[in-house]
Amino acid sequence: MPEHTVLVVDDEPIVRESIRDWLTEAGYRVATAETGEQALEMVRTQDFSVLVVDLRLPGKTGLAVLEAIKAERPWIKSIVITAYPSSETAQEARRLGAVDYVLKPFAPDHLERLIDDTLAAIPPEATVTTVERPITEAPVAEAIAVRETFAIDKEDLRSLYEGLAASAEVIGPKVKQGKFVFDKIKRFEELHLNYDVTVHPPVNFLRPPRETLLTLKLGDAPGAVPVLDESPRVLFGVHPYDIKAIELLDEVFMTAHPDPHYITRRQNTLIIGVDCLHPSPNSFASSMGCHQTETGFDLLFTDIGSAVMVMTGSERGAQLLAEYTEVKEPTDYEIATQKTLRDAAVEDYQLSLEVARERMPKLLEDHYDDPYWEEKSENCLSCGSCIMVCPTCFCFDVKDEVSLDLKGAVRVRHWDGCMLTDFAKVAGGENFRHGKAARFRHRIFRKGKYVLERYGMVGCVGCGRCISACLPEIASPVEAFNTIAQHAKAEAARRLIGKVTPQPDLYAPQPAKLVRVESLAANEKVFELQFANGKSLGHRPGQFVEVSMAGIGEAPISISSSPTRDGSFELAIRNVGNVTRALHGLKEGALVGIRGPFGNGFPIESLEWKDLLLIAGGIGLFPLRSLVQYVLDRRDCFGRVVLLFGARSPKERMFTEELSQWRENPDVEFLETVDRGDELWNGNVGVITTLIPGIEISPAKTMAAVVGPPIMYRFVIGELKKKGLADEQIVLSLERRMKCGVGKCGHCQINGVYVCQEGPVFTLAQLRNLREAV
Amino acid sequence: MSKPKVAFFDFTCCEGCQLDTLNIEGEALVDLLNAVDIVEFREVASEKADSYDIAFVEGSITRKSEIPRLKKIRERAKIVIALGACAHIGGVNCLKNHLAMDEALEIVYEERAEDYDTIPTRPIDAVIPVDYIVPGCPINTAELLRIVKELLLGKTPELPNCPVCVECKMAGNICVFELGRTCLGPVTRAGCNAICVTAGRHCWGCRGLVDDPNLDAQKDVLEKYGLSVEEVLEKFKIYNTCTTEANK
Repeated sequence: MPEHTVLVVDDEPIVRESIRDWLTEAGYRVATAETGEQALEMVRTQDFSVLVVDLRLPGKTGLAVLEAIKAERPWIKSIVITAYPSSETAQEARRLGAVDYVLKPFAPDHLERLIDDTLAAIPPEATVTTVERPITEAPVAEAIAVRETFAIDKEDLRSLYEGLAASAEVIGPKVKQGKFVFDKIKRFEELHLNYDVTVHPPVNFLRPPRETLLTLKLGDAPGAVPVLDESPRVLFGVHPYDIKAIELLDEVFMTAHPDPHYITRRQNTLIIGVDCLHPSPNSFASSMGCHQTETGFDLLFTDIGSAVMVMTGSERGAQLLAEYTEVKEPTDYEIATQKTLRDAAVEDYQLSLEVARERMPKLLEDHYDDPYWEEKSENCLSCGSCIMVCPTCFCFDVKDEVSLDLKGAVRVRHWDGCMLTDFAKVAGGENFRHGKAARFRHRIFRKGKYVLERYGMVGCVGCGRCISACLPEIASPVEAFNTIAQHAKAEAARRLIGKVTPQPDLYAPQPAKLVRVESLAANEKVFELQFANGKSLGHRPGQFVEVSMAGIGEAPISISSSPTRDGSFELAIRNVGNVTRALHGLKEGALVGIRGPFGNGFPIESLEWKDLLLIAGGIGLFPLRSLVQYVLDRRDCFGRVVLLFGARSPKERMFTEELSQWRENPDVEFLETVDRGDELWNGNVGVITTLIPGIEISPAKTMAAVVGPPIMYRFVIGELKKKGLADEQIVLSLERRMKCGVGKCGHCQINGVYVCQEGPVFTLAQLRNLREAV
Repeated sequence: MSKPKVAFFDFTCCEGCQLDTLNIEGEALVDLLNAVDIVEFREVASEKADSYDIAFVEGSITRKSEIPRLKKIRERAKIVIALGACAHIGGVNCLKNHLAMDEALEIVYEERAEDYDTIPTRPIDAVIPVDYIVPGCPINTAELLRIVKELLLGKTPELPNCPVCVECKMAGNICVFELGRTCLGPVTRAGCNAICVTAGRHCWGCRGLVDDPNLDAQKDVLEKYGLSVEEVLEKFKIYNTCTTEANK
């Protein structure tokens, strides 16, 4: 089972690629990196089990990579490869935690074995070690190829069934009270392979309604022993959409934290599929791409009348065919008949999705607040029937069942799900998904968005069971998807040219008067402005405006004053380009153009009531000053305030009067440093990061806001992490070329994000997902 | 620690829930008797006690004389547990509440009607505070045992708050509605493992309603499946007269 990912780091393409190909062939997932820097970047954002790293890399060496990994991701097992061995590097590699040191060149199977052994040494809680037990003895018959299609006689199904039933429980579709259900097949005649849909999905035999996870011992010496179900089973006659559902559950339960209970059952279960040639009237499997499958089964049958076509999907499936049937090469007629029947079945689906299913995640996201959820769920009984018959639902609850002598117990897992009222309720009584509409929406979002995004596989296979099970007739995912798509279409129609109301002043600046101009340093001035129409700017600390100089152009400038100081606003500006040069030439009383405010500003809501660590480097003080002023004006709403400021030299310190006020202010702890001092300077000397180690903070209740040049961010972040701050507790303001300010021109884009819309202030956690950010 | 003293009492009921308690299979019953001290149980013994750790009360309140007796039990008991549908929600006894009281007496006692008194049926929590509930008609003895065990462990016993449909699907049943009949499963509290549907019948609602039942939607569903408004109300009446009165 490919559940481990190996990262291969080598600067030589030929080495990198051949290792990748060998290991992929051996069933591992493999990622590659050319440099140590790239490898560390990947290690920080993705989950790897094993690292294969070359010693000699351009930039960061293999040993430096090992060192970083030992510190940051100590659970990753590393194997060093090199063409330049030495006992020093070998010892150093060992010291840094490498499990092996291999000389180039080496044979593919040597590396493979090494990785197998390395993974086997990972403690059992990290991986699952279940023996794969063949259901039948190894066959003597001649070998049959995997992923090939053959024709067999219909009577061969009987001998196959009987062969399987001798050593395993065979579960298949049979008739109960006029409906089809998956149940134990005791005689071949009970098996009904020509069915439309069963009431309950076959996946119930892989994640049963109730199962014991552990037996527990109570009392002074408590103990827990896992209970695994190893009984061999065959699911005989599974439709492709149900096979797709099993493939999703494999992804859920067999990767990340591999679930021993599911995996044990899965490894002891054979899956024999059968094509669905007569779909149920409630099915829309073809719309979900789940009406046919080429994977996920050991064998797959198609009943073509005169014979049965069978495709082998695994070694085990091929062995079974060889042992119990007589396979023939299919004739051209048989191949053509199979295709005709499959094509005809596609035409039989009565329900269909009216929008490409890849578009559903975005459509749903845009319609989170659609009235549909409220309206449709009004009649919801919260009875859970839709999720209880769903093959792709897998949520559960866990309960202890105690023996009467109170000495032992079993810990039982049973189905539970998001449509039930108490699913998200916690002990204190709070329900985190309250109300029918929220639950209803969550289920549809799982089916159309969340599961697809998380696991890369559709969250609904279109079997239509929920449609049949829902008494008030509201559960249909395809109806929900189509309605939302229609709403989107209607909105687009409303947006038709001619019906749209434009924002006339989108690009037209509003005149503002310079009421005060003051020089800050050689190249920097602060401008106080007032709108000619007397209106206030209405900004948040950390936002920016576009300043327009007619005939020259516009430039994005961050706002330096707090909205709490009403009536006017201040822009501190360095003279670096055409617009700023022209601005610097203006005198008090002159008019300039202003658009904005734009951007998100500092997240005041998450800063309030916290201890604040505010850090500015150089002209990073300009935007941060708006926040500092805001915090001082609303001092009661914040905890401790620590303010760190660094400039390159004493001459480059700006707002010096204000800096002295902050130093004097008993409500603020103010520390300052310069990179290089001069004869008059008697304060701290050193880069701003040197101020951080000396500060005692309570990491749990502190938020840090940092503004400065990019180079400063790296080092400051490093120091803040040492102080125990999480990525969510560090906010940064980014500089980009924000030309239009309204999310259209594209200049400020970082990956998919527009800095002028979602920024310029981001948490470090957000930036971790933006590869191009810092 | 001494074993908790447990007592059983009955009011207006068929005593079937106590009978079912006595029917708990062999070993479990022995274990139960080892874990607790049964100090009063009229069906099996005539002893009386002055105080109890746990008092199980079966039956609903339908006569004035039952009220002081129930209050006395409450005074003597640390924990009072309603045993079965009659004590929990009034049960089938509530059907009487659809008649005038003298009319009800007339039907039952005919010419002797004057010799008896009767009041509208009430569940016991309409008279005294009740700590826990073992619902059902009759009770699910596994649930009774679970609640006793949880109390012995110091855990707060809770009832499932999802409808019978959940357990019915888990039991692998085909929906009664899909078979063309009707059922109260979608609004009735689970905990019975859908025993009636599994046995080929439908849910009568004996365990009472879930915390927030969507009765309007359930009525719509029942009507859609061909029941008249009167028939729908009849369905709810059997066990849930007392609990649905407020929802009419």
